[in-house]
Amino acid sequence: MNNAVQLKAKDYKSAVKPIWCPGCGHFSVFNAITKAMAALAISKDDTVMISGIGCSSRLPAYVDSYGFHGVHGRGLAIAQGLKVARPDLTVMAMGGDGDGFSIGGNHFIHACRRNVNMTYIAMDNEVYGMTKGQASPTTPMDWDHSKLTPHGPGVRPFKPAALALASGAPWIGRAYSGNPNQMAKLIAQAVEFEGFSFLHVMSQCITFCPEQTDWKAIVHERGEPALTDADEAAKLFLHEDGFQTGLLYSERRATWPPESAVPQSEDALGQLAASFRV
Amino acid sequence: MANETLAGFLAHSIELESEARERYTELADAMTGHHNRDVAAFFLRMAEEARHHLAEVAQLAQGMLLPQLKAWEFDWPEAEPPETASYEDMHYRMSLRQAMTLALANERAAESYYRNVATSSDDQDTARIAGVFADEELSHAAELERLLAQLPENPLHQLEEDDDPHMPE
Ligand SMILES: Cc1ncc(C[n+]2csc(CCOP(=O)(O)OP(=O)(O)O)c2C)c(N)n1
Ligand code: SF4
Ligand SMILES: [Mg+2]
Repeated sequence: MNNAVQLKAKDYKSAVKPIWCPGCGHFSVFNAITKAMAALAISKDDTVMISGIGCSSRLPAYVDSYGFHGVHGRGLAIAQGLKVARPDLTVMAMGGDGDGFSIGGNHFIHACRRNVNMTYIAMDNEVYGMTKGQASPTTPMDWDHSKLTPHGPGVRPFKPAALALASGAPWIGRAYSGNPNQMAKLIAQAVEFEGFSFLHVMSQCITFCPEQTDWKAIVHERGEPALTDADEAAKLFLHEDGFQTGLLYSERRATWPPESAVPQSEDALGQLAASFRV
Repeated sequence: MANETLAGFLAHSIELESEARERYTELADAMTGHHNRDVAAFFLRMAEEARHHLAEVAQLAQGMLLPQLKAWEFDWPEAEPPETASYEDMHYRMSLRQAMTLALANERAAESYYRNVATSSDDQDTARIAGVFADEELSHAAELERLLAQLPENPLHQLEEDDDPHMPE
C-alpha cells in the first residue's frame, strides 16, 4: 500500500451526485466499486472507468478517477484500446445489458476472446432503463410490461455467463445488487486477476422492473471454489438457474497482446508510424 | 494488551453507523433529484442521526487500535449492516409514511443487533456498551413511532401509469 493516508470508499466518490432512481441497483454497483478500490488501495490517478450509454453507463462520472462516458455499446472497445496503449493503468469498463449484449454484443464476445488484462462489469437489469423500459437480450420471454412487446419479447434471453465462457473469457463471476459487500470482494478479485475478468451483476431496475425486488429471495451464493475447467463451467452455466453468485469460473490464459507484439521502444513506434507515411 | 473483543465490536459499530449515514445521505440526494422533498428531508434527518451516533462511537474508540476490516470482512446477520436501508424497499414515489416505516424497521434491526451482542458477549465492557447502544436505538425507534402516529392517515401516493421518473439522457 503506497498511499500515505488510507482512503475510504467515500473518498473514491466524485462530487457529482448520481441521478439514478432511489433504490436503483446501480447505486450498489457504484458503492461496491468504491469499496473494492478502498480495499485494494488503488491509486485514483492510475485508474480509468469506461462506459457506453445507459443509466448504468453514467457510473464513471460518479467515481473520482479518470473516466470516459463513451458511445452506446463501445465502452469495451475504448477500454481495450486504452489498456493496450497504457498497460500500467487499471482499466474497468461497465455498462448495461442493452449496452453490452445488444448494440455492444459483438465487442463483448471479442473482448472475452481477446483476453486483455482488464475488468468488465455488466450491470444487468434485463431492460433498457434509460429509454424507459424496453426489452433487452436478457429480458425474460414473457415479460409483458413494455408497450413495444405487449406479449413479451418471445425470444429466449441470453445467458451472459455461458456466452462469455463460449467466447473465451477466463474469469466469470456473478454478483447481486442486494449484496454490495460480496460484490465489492468480487470486484477486488476481478481487478487482481491477470486477464479479462467478467462480472455479471444482477442490478435491479426498481422503476421499470419492480418485480426484480423478488430476486432477493431467489439469489443464492454458490459457496464452492471457482471451477477451473471450461467443460464443467459450460455444464454449470447452461443448466444453472442464473441466480447463483460468487466467483464461478477462473482459469489462467495468455493475455493479449503477447509480449512479442508490444513495441519495445519509442523508436519502434516511430518506425511503425513512418511505414504508413506516403 | 488491548481488548480485542471490544475493538472488534467498536469497528463493527463504526461501520454500522457510517454505512447507515452513507445510505441515507445517498437516498436523500436521490429523492431530491426526483422531487420527493418530504422523504428527502426525512432521510437527511436519519443520516444526521447516524452521523451523531457515529461521532459517539468514534469518541469511545479514541486511542484504541481497531481492526482494519475490508467491507466484506464484517460479520452481519444479513448481507448489509442492520441499520442500512435496503435498495429493494425504495421507490422514488414512496410516501413519508412508507419511508418512516422502513426507517423504523432499520432502527429495530440495529437495536436487535446491539442487544444480541449485549446478551451474548463474554466481555463485560463490550456487553455494557452494546447495551447502551441498544437502548439508544430503542429510543430512536420510539421517536419514530411517535412521529408515525402523528402523520395524517393514508398519505400513500398512488402510482400512476406512465408516470416515469425524471431521467434525462
Ligand atoms: C447508437 C444509439 N442507439 C440507441 C441509443 C438509445 N439508448 C440509450 S440508452 C439505451 C439502452 C440502455 O439500456 P442498458 O444498456 O441496459 O442500460 P440501463 O439504462 O438499463 O442501465 C438505448 C437503446 C443511443 N443512445 N445510441
Ligand atoms: S430507470 Fe431503472 S436503471 Fe435507470 S436509474 Fe431508474 S431504476 Fe435505475
Ligand atoms: Mg439495462
